[in-house]
Amino acid sequence: MSELSGVIHDIGYQRYAGPRLGRRYVFGSLYTHGLRTAFGLGRSAKAKIFPWFVLGVVAITGLILAAVRAQLGEVVVTYNAFPDTMSWLVIFFVAVVAPELVSRDLRSGVLPLYFSRPLPRGDYVYAKFAALATAVWILLGGPQLLMFLVAAFSADNLSAVWTEVGDLVPGLIYALLWAGVFAGIGLLVASLTGKRAFAAGGIVAVFLMTTPIVGVFAVLPSKALNELALLFSPSSLVFGVGIWLFGSPDGNDDIGPFGPLYAAVAVGLVAGCVALLLARYRKVASS
Amino acid sequence: MVTQTITWITARGLFGRRRFLLLLPLPLLVIGLAVLSRGFGVAPEHWGEPVLVGLGLAVVLPVIALIAGTGVLGSEIDDGTIVHILTKPLPRSQIVLPKLAVATAATAVSVAVPLYVAGVLADSVGLGLALAAAGTVGALAYSALFLALSLVTRRPVLLGLVYVLVWEGLLGNFVSGTRVLSIQQYVITIADKIAPTPLLEAKVSLPVALVMSALFTVGFTALAIDRLRSFSVAGETS
Repeated sequence: MSELSGVIHDIGYQRYAGPRLGRRYVFGSLYTHGLRTAFGLGRSAKAKIFPWFVLGVVAITGLILAAVRAQLGEVVVTYNAFPDTMSWLVIFFVAVVAPELVSRDLRSGVLPLYFSRPLPRGDYVYAKFAALATAVWILLGGPQLLMFLVAAFSADNLSAVWTEVGDLVPGLIYALLWAGVFAGIGLLVASLTGKRAFAAGGIVAVFLMTTPIVGVFAVLPSKALNELALLFSPSSLVFGVGIWLFGSPDGNDDIGPFGPLYAAVAVGLVAGCVALLLARYRKVASS
Repeated sequence: MVTQTITWITARGLFGRRRFLLLLPLPLLVIGLAVLSRGFGVAPEHWGEPVLVGLGLAVVLPVIALIAGTGVLGSEIDDGTIVHILTKPLPRSQIVLPKLAVATAATAVSVAVPLYVAGVLADSVGLGLALAAAGTVGALAYSALFLALSLVTRRPVLLGLVYVLVWEGLLGNFVSGTRVLSIQQYVITIADKIAPTPLLEAKVSLPVALVMSALFTVGFTALAIDRLRSFSVAGETS
C-alpha cells in the first residue's frame, strides 16, 4: 500500500451565513423597479418622452386650475372632478406604461428567470399591479396636492386650511379608485401580448369602446337602465362610485339606489382582473 | 407578381393565426348598440350621435386604422423580417403601396360594414352609404398617416394615439383651429354633405375635407416611400 501523498488544504471556503433577503425583498425590488419603469427612470431619454409628456400636461393643467382659483377665488374644478377631467390622459398613460411593465417581460423571455427566484407567481402580478396603480395615483394625486398647496397658502385662516384638507382627502381616495380600476384592466390587456404596440392599441380600444355604451344606455326608455348606465365603462363606473361616496358634483347624474352595486362592481372588476392575471401567469410560467 | 406576394405576406401577417378575430369586437359593438337602441324604440336623435360619431367615427375607425396601419410594416420592422423584403431589388413604392392597400382594405371593410348597418338603422340607406363611403376615405387617410408614422418613429402606436386622443379628441373639442388637420372632421363632413342629416355636424367645409384627405393620403404615402429608401435597421434600444 503506497503512501498517501495528497493533502487537503483549507483555503477558507465558507457557507453563506448572512441574512437571506427572501420573498419580501424580491417583491419590494420588483415593485420599485416597476415604479421606476413607469416613469422611464434609469432608462434612456426615449423611454421618458411619453410618460413625462402626460405627467407634464396633467401637472400644468393642475397648476393652471390652482392659479385661476387663487386669482379669481372660485373653484373651477374640484379635487374630485380633476381625475374625471383628465380621463383621456389617464387612458393614454396606462396605454404607455402597462405594456412597458408586462409586455416587455413576455417578449424578452425573462419570466423563467424571475420565477427561478424565491418569488411566488402571484407576487409578480401583485408587484406589477401595485407599481402601475401607484404610478397612476402619483399622476393624479400629485397635481391634486399641488392644487391643495396653492389653495392652503392663499387661505385666510387655519380653519380654511382644514376645510381644504377635508376636500383633498376624498379627492385622493377617489384618485386611488381610478388608479386601481385602470391598472387592473390595463395590465390584463397588456399581459395578453408581448408586442407593446398591440398592447397599447388594445388598452385604448377597451377603454374607448365602452364609453358610447354608457351614452346609449343613458337614453334607453327605462329608468333602471338609465341609472345603471354608468356601470358599462371603467371611467364612468368610477364616476358612479364617486357619486355614491361623495355625492353628485352637479346633480345631473342620477344612479338611484344602485350606489352599493356600483361599489361592488368596481371592487369585483379589480378583483376579477387580478384573478385573471394570476391565472394568466400560472399558464405563462409553465410554458 | 412581387406585388401579389407582398400583399399576400402582409395580409397573412395581419389576419393569420386567427388574429382577424381581434378586429371583430369593435364593429360588432357598433351594430349591437344600434340594434339595441332600435329595438327599444329610442329616437335616432338620442342614440345616433354617440353610436355613429362617438363610437364609429371617433373610436372604431382610428383604432382599427392604427392597429392595421402600424401593423402592416411596423410588426415586420419589429421582427426584423423587413430585411428580407428590403434586400430584394424592388422600387420602394412597390413595397409601401401593397401594404397600404392591405391596411386600407382591412380598415375600410371593418368600418364601412357596421357604419352602413348603423346608418340604415338610424336614418336611411342614404346615410348608411354616405357613412360607408366617408369611412372608406377616412380609412385611406388614417392608414397612410399611421403607415408613415411606423417608418418615422420607433413608437408609432403611441405617437398615433397622441394624434387620435390628444389632437383629435381633446384639442378638437376646445381649439377649433385643430379641426383643419383632423381626419375625423373630414370624415364627418364628407358623410354629412353626401346625406345631410341633423345627426352629423360638419365643422369644416367640403372642399377643405376633400383636398386635405387627398393631401394626407398622398403626402404621407410619399413620405413613407421616401423614408423606406434610406431605412436603417437598428436593434431595440430602450
